[in-house]
Amino acid sequence: MSISTSGGEQRRPSVVSTGKKAPAGKAVAEKTAEGGPAAGDRAAADGRATGTRPAAKSTSKGRVPAGRTGGKKSRQRRPVAPVKVGHGRSWGTIGIFVAVGLLAAGIIGYGAYAVILNGRSWEEKAAAIDGIVNYRESDPSVIDPLPGKKSHEPGPQTYKINPPVGSTHNNAWQNCMGDVYDAPIANEHAVHSLEHGAVWITYRPDLPADQVEKLANKVRGNEYMMMSPVENLDRPISLQAWGYQLKVDDADDGRIDEFIDALRVNASVEPGASCSGGITATGTTPRDNVAGDTM
Amino acid sequence: MATADTEPRTASEAEESAAAGPTTGGPAGGVGAGTPDRRPGSGLLLLGVVLALAIGFAAGLLAPGLFRPGNDSPEAGFARDMSTHHAQAVELSILAHERTTDPDVRTLAADIVLTQQAQIGIMQTWLKSWNLSPTSSQPRMAWMPDGAGTVRDGLMPGMATDAERAQLRAATGRDFDILFLRLMLNHHLGGIHMAEGILELTDDEQVTALAQSMVNGQKKEIELINSLLAARGAR
Repeated sequence: MSISTSGGEQRRPSVVSTGKKAPAGKAVAEKTAEGGPAAGDRAAADGRATGTRPAAKSTSKGRVPAGRTGGKKSRQRRPVAPVKVGHGRSWGTIGIFVAVGLLAAGIIGYGAYAVILNGRSWEEKAAAIDGIVNYRESDPSVIDPLPGKKSHEPGPQTYKINPPVGSTHNNAWQNCMGDVYDAPIANEHAVHSLEHGAVWITYRPDLPADQVEKLANKVRGNEYMMMSPVENLDRPISLQAWGYQLKVDDADDGRIDEFIDALRVNASVEPGASCSGGITATGTTPRDNVAGDTM
Repeated sequence: MATADTEPRTASEAEESAAAGPTTGGPAGGVGAGTPDRRPGSGLLLLGVVLALAIGFAAGLLAPGLFRPGNDSPEAGFARDMSTHHAQAVELSILAHERTTDPDVRTLAADIVLTQQAQIGIMQTWLKSWNLSPTSSQPRMAWMPDGAGTVRDGLMPGMATDAERAQLRAATGRDFDILFLRLMLNHHLGGIHMAEGILELTDDEQVTALAQSMVNGQKKEIELINSLLAARGAR
């Protein structure tokens, strides 16, 4: 709707000025200079421009021919012309033009604002988090398969960083349906959960219980979330997504929610992969191929 | 060609030729006068057309963003929260599909896993097409009036608690089947509550169609679950 309206209003003033002011004036001057007889044309042209203006509002087709053929057929209507060129009208037209212009600018401005705000990609949101490490860019060897290994391998793996954020892992993933594990879990399964899009919150075992509970509240009931204590952490809390890590000191740190908001599900390298059906047992020994222990 | 065209016309329109006649510059002057007469006008017209096209183009690019559900809309909240709600139904049912020895329970479990996982895909695709993140910092159920009050321990209506999930994992045989059926019964009741909630809030055709199908489908499954429970003496 705004398109046709603004387009129509846009064109109207150009007609008005063509018929009324500068162009008409010029035409008069030139014609007069060349030869008197053309005077009637001018008046007629003016008259037509004035007279057809209301009718011409809706379509451009109607208007253009009127202006163009003005010189030929206009003679009969001459008398109407000179009187009606009202200056009063232009204010209304200008007003409408300005109003529509402002409205259009407002709509477009708001639209752009909304689109830009919503359109920020998860990568941009992640990059804006202070202190986050993006290993996908800074050191892909942290997430690539270990030297000489495939991406899926049974048995224990040795990771470059603690906790790991990618690389070779077991075939089974750790269940990440908002699971709050109260003991350390196997990296080999946890990394597979990261591949599926989980955010894994880890904390040093000496983190105060109230802090642990605050973290658990961010996890419980949310799929693609899990949490467990990790030994030998260099900071009290560490957050992992595939290829991303953020270490903080306090469960109240606002960056924790920013990390979850930006990377949960989004960081998945296998979109649509599930957190259900994973290993729910704790213990740092990987459990691939342990009979009867898939859930 | 141009000359041939002009001449007959001047000839036929005698009056005009006569009037303009005296000066050969008449017709020529008319054209000449007409051209500057049009030039500023057509310049403005061109500018207007270009402006209108530019505005139209920009509006066309941006307008869809104004009319599709926004980040804090009920539709987006429903898509996110129902995805999470469904995900737990899938978790419970994939466990049942593997653990149960009862063909009726296994069929029901397979039906729930496949249906609800597909519906998660549909809802996630909505969010993508609305240019929204699958995640949000909004509290669960905030899109429903009084919805936030129905969340307990971070769990939306009908969702199994950590203790219930652990209990189910530990159960076997008939106990497992009955616990699974009871958990799913509650889960469906909560799910229907949410789906009916969005039906009251949205006019979006896709959302309405899927939410209505959830209400219908889960009501039918509740009937089935009740009959399965009754047949196992656990009604």
